[in-house]
Amino acid sequence: MEIRNVVTGDTCEMLVSGRIDGAGANQLEVEILNVIRTGAKGIYVNLSDATFLCSAGLRVLLQYWRQMKNSQRLLMATRPSPEVEAVLATSGFREALVEKL
Amino acid sequence: MQIVLQNQPSEKQRVAQALEQFGRDHQLPAAVVQAADLALEEHLTNLMNYGFTDNRPHQITVRFSLASHFVVEVEDDGPPFNPLEVPAVDITLPLEQRPIGGLGIHLIRGFMDEIEYRSEGGKNVLRMGKRLPA
Repeated sequence: MEIRNVVTGDTCEMLVSGRIDGAGANQLEVEILNVIRTGAKGIYVNLSDATFLCSAGLRVLLQYWRQMKNSQRLLMATRPSPEVEAVLATSGFREALVEKL
Repeated sequence: MQIVLQNQPSEKQRVAQALEQFGRDHQLPAAVVQAADLALEEHLTNLMNYGFTDNRPHQITVRFSLASHFVVEVEDDGPPFNPLEVPAVDITLPLEQRPIGGLGIHLIRGFMDEIEYRSEGGKNVLRMGKRLPA
């Protein structure tokens, strides 16, 4: 799995490609924490090139969505691939976690 | 097809690769392979994290078979545990109130069409089936 960050002002788009499996979720968490430490007010996790998302990845997204919200900041998932969208829908996360375009 | 793995997270990659190969060899639809891939990731992760109560190596056997359904069976020698007895998750709760964990078996139920547990010869066997498109 690879993550590329695109920073614009105080927002960061994290472009995730590949499998967000158990190991990928750990990597995603480390990267999100790094971005949070930079003081980003908005984090957009672009999942258009993510080929797989498991519950470990959902846990990371939920945990940091919650943490950012509690500090009046924002973390959203964006542009989920069809595979990832199916997982977000089945888990009931799609409505609140995915940015509506 | 059968794969025997150790209860180490790094072993899951072998299963994912074997599944991909099985799917190619039998021209399985992508949706069937993706569902099984997710179900295996969830069940194997739960097994490796919670299924064994000692610090010893254990073997997990994963079997693929194909008839009217694509069937994945996972057998382990951990203490008896039926994952189907895990309470259902309420996905209608607002995100603020959702528990952080507990989604693994929910996703297995959501993506596989049949799930059965049995205890056989002192082993846990989880059988997960996915219907093939007509």
